[in-house]
Parts: sequence; structure tokens; C-alpha cells
Amino acid sequence: MRNLLRLLLARHAAYVLVSGLLLGGFQWLICAVVASTDVTGALGTLVQSLPPLAQTMVSEQFFGGFSKASLLAFGWAHPIAQAVGAALAIVLATQAVAGESEAGTIELTLGQPIARRTYLAAHVAFALAVLAFVTLAGLAGTIAGGRFYGLEPFRVTALARLGLDYLALQAALFGVTLMFSAFGREGGRVALFGFLAALVSYLVHVIGTMWDGWRPLVPYTLHAYYVPKDLLVGGAGVARPAATLLAVALGGLLVAWWRFRRRDLP
Amino acid sequence: MPALEVAGLHKRYGRVHALRGVSFAVEPGEVFGYLGPNGAGKTTTLRILLGLARADRGAARLLGEPPGRPASRERIGFLPGELRLHGGMTGRALLDHFARFRPARPPLLRERLLAALDLKESDLARRVKWLSHGTRQKVGLVIAMQHDPDVVLLDEPTSGLDPLVQQGFRDLVRELAARGRAILFSSHVLSEVEAVCGRVAVLRAGALLAVEEIEALRARLVRRLEARFRGAAPGDLAALPGVTRAEVAGSAATLWLQGDVNPLLRRLAGCEVEHLVFPEPELEDVFLDLYRGGGGPA
Repeated sequence: MRNLLRLLLARHAAYVLVSGLLLGGFQWLICAVVASTDVTGALGTLVQSLPPLAQTMVSEQFFGGFSKASLLAFGWAHPIAQAVGAALAIVLATQAVAGESEAGTIELTLGQPIARRTYLAAHVAFALAVLAFVTLAGLAGTIAGGRFYGLEPFRVTALARLGLDYLALQAALFGVTLMFSAFGREGGRVALFGFLAALVSYLVHVIGTMWDGWRPLVPYTLHAYYVPKDLLVGGAGVARPAATLLAVALGGLLVAWWRFRRRDLP
Repeated sequence: MPALEVAGLHKRYGRVHALRGVSFAVEPGEVFGYLGPNGAGKTTTLRILLGLARADRGAARLLGEPPGRPASRERIGFLPGELRLHGGMTGRALLDHFARFRPARPPLLRERLLAALDLKESDLARRVKWLSHGTRQKVGLVIAMQHDPDVVLLDEPTSGLDPLVQQGFRDLVRELAARGRAILFSSHVLSEVEAVCGRVAVLRAGALLAVEEIEALRARLVRRLEARFRGAAPGDLAALPGVTRAEVAGSAATLWLQGDVNPLLRRLAGCEVEHLVFPEPELEDVFLDLYRGGGGPA
């Protein structure tokens, strides 16, 4: 397993590092924006010019009101913050089976004395470790940016809950994509399925929060259980949303393992 | 106990019947040729032996163990037919990476292989994606054999190697066999298998046509000879022992021979020959002969 982990680290180190810097840098930037401009006032003026339905959606659903803390929380709900983690999760899951099959490298690797379960476990362990690293880099950006710009700090427990929820969302996306990967032979197609799963979940969640017609669908999206505003501002507990997302991740992993241990390779 | 054994292997990929009851065994110290055209089922057999693919029916054993157990692959060396390596790593890093999978079997043969395959330090220092096809193939061969495996599975091993390196590689294979290693040498090139193997299995469309000594195959093989004479070609060539067919046109003659070539050579020695060539025997000729001899698939 250690040998595989070393290989994965050598192959993905640069991408992981860039993802970490991107998420950390983005959260720092959010702190800079919140501290240096009167975003609250500007957004308040902007929102007042919108129709009532849009006012509710923009101010409550996206920003959770216009406090500085809620704007910092919005930095974690922002599509860029979500895309950084999701892209890493999808790429790693795609590469694990379908990508390596398409590249042809899995044949030589599994021709060595390693069990398929060890192979898959190494990919899962590596993905969880680097997703945790990227999450921590993002949190470091929020903490360092907040200190640098003199913003009121979040409690450590609130940040820890946010980190766990963010990690659980990316783990769920990893698990779902790994399931596709275990069935697939073409990396591009698997990545597309993973991306579509993430996108559909995100869009259904966003539309469902604005429009009553789709509201019943919201609990069936992954993004309904990613609640940075509730965790950072509302003081909500993370156990239920994180457990739901981790259950999805585990389900994906189990299906992936069921398929991977039986399938012909490459 | 055979080093490797397959018995009654059947494998389908959808509507394609990739293997139809393939059975053979390879003993320690043997270089066993696995001959067949592309798509005959050679690679599928190797994948089943390694546990990468599952047989629909039949059994396979490597060193007495069923396929798929990592322990059985500890003593195996494997070169895939379509070798793909992690292109971002250097050749040296890749050799070390694969050596680390077997901590109990250090890469004792590495230096010997590097010398035999003429693989230079400068090649190993470059990233694999920048290496030529032939050099990548050499790296693959070192990966397959550096730990001195008891059984070596080689799928089209000489692909991309220049003739001089091929010769060095064949010597190495013979040396391994002399030390009791079993080698399964899969190829679609008859002359390669002839040059190094003691026994051969001939596979076509998933079915075994024959498993026999290479000498027996050679004796059955119909070889073509093309000759051009100064003056008219002799009229009695078709009647010589071993000549199964002759086409004579003026000073040129094309002959098909089976078995001993000496009677023909003695006859030619009495002629003024301008040009004489034995083209590479075609795999199709082997199949035709095996079908004619009743060795076709059941």
C-alpha cells in the first residue's frame, strides 16, 4: 500500500498543492473583500432593487443575512470553493480505476503481488488524505485572512464542523464517481458522469431553495447537507449532514468495491 | 508440478468467444512459445493466469496457486503486450517502484538485464514519456525480470527491439530457463518463437491447434524458397524430396518445401544460382498445415 501511496503522491502532488493554494487563497480573498469594502451596505442596496422573491433568495439563502460572518460563510458556499474540492475528488476517483484502465497502467500494476482491495484502499486513503489537506488549506485561508484583516474570528469548533462538512461533501462526490469509475473503462466518460452528478445536485439544490415546485427534491441532493452558513453562523450541529454525506460516500465505495473485485481488467 | 497450467479455459467477451477450451502446461526450465495472430486469445490467457480476467469455465494455476492471489504473483514476472508505463516517472524511478512491490525478492538481475538489453544510465535518467518505443520495451523487460522470477509471462516481448538487442534478449531467456525458470513466450512472429522456444502452443480464434515440440512444428512447416538461376531453371525441382510445390518461370523458381532442406540444396549446388532467398515463414502457412493435418479446432 505504501508503494502505491508514494506513486499517487508523486503523480498528483502538484495538482493537490495548487488546489490547496487555490482554496486557501480564495478564502483569504473573501476575508480581504469583506474587510476592505462595505460589502454589506452595497449588497443591501443591490438587493433592495430586486423583486421580493429574489431579495429573499439572495439575502437569506446565499448570504444568510448581511453580517460579515455570513459573508465569510458564503465564501465556503461559493461555487469556486465547491468546484476546487469537487474537481479534485472527481479526478482522483476517475483515475483510480477507469483512468488507469484507459491508460493501460493498471494491467502492469495489478500484475504485481498486490490484492485488488489493497489497490482500491490505497486510492481511497490517498483521496481522503488530500481532500482533508485541501480542506485544511481552505480553513487556514479563512483563519489567516480573518486575523490579517482584523475580522472577528470564528470559534474553532465552528470551523472544525465546517471542515468536516466540506470534507464529507467531497468524499461523497468521490464515492459516487468511484462507483462510476469501477464500472468504466474510459476516464473522460467517468469524469463527465461525476461532474454531472455534482452539477445536478448543486443546481437542484439552488433551484429548490428558490422555487417551491422543486423544494421536495432538495433533501435528495448532496448539497442540501453542505451547510456552511448554518455551521458558522447559526451554530448548527454537523453530525446529521456529515453522516448523510459520509453514508453516500460509503455506499459509493461499497458498490465500487463490489464491481471492482469482479471485473476484468483493463 | 508444472510452473503454470491452464485446463479447458473458456472466455467470452460479449459475442466474441476469446478462448475455447485452451489447455497446456509449462514446466520449470522450459521456454514455451504461445503462438498466434493478433486477437487469437494469447493476451486473454495471460490475463486469466494473472487474475486480471476471469475464465467463464476451466482452471488456471500459477506455481500451484489459483490466479488472483497476490502471493502467487510474488514469484512471477510479467510483461504486458501493450506496455503502458507511468510516463511522468524516470526509468530508474519506475524500476525502483516495481522492485518495491517485492521486498523479499531484491532486483538482483537488474544490472545483468540492463547490460544485455543495452539500456544506458542516460535512458534511465529520462522521463519514460520521452523514451522511444523500443527503450520503453526494454524498461518493461527489466521490470518483468529484475527480481529473478520463477515464472516469466512475456507478451510480445521483442516488439520494438532492434535485432542485436533481440539476440541478447534471447540469450538471456535461455540462461533463465537453464536455471530452472519457466518462461511463457507469447508472440505472433513464428521466427521469434522458433529461435528461443522448446515447445509451442499454436492458437487461433481462441482454439488451440497444436501443442508440440518446436522441431516437430519446424518439420511440418512448409517453407517458401525463391531462386533465380543464370539461364533456365532446372526442370526437375518439383520432383526433389521435400518439395511439395514448384512454380518455374524462365530463370526464376518458387518452391515450397517441407522437412529436410538438404536434398534441394545439394541439387542447387550443381546449378549456377544468381539469387536465393528464404522469406520469413508466414503464420498462415502453419495454420494451413495444421488444418490439413487434422489439427484444427474441435
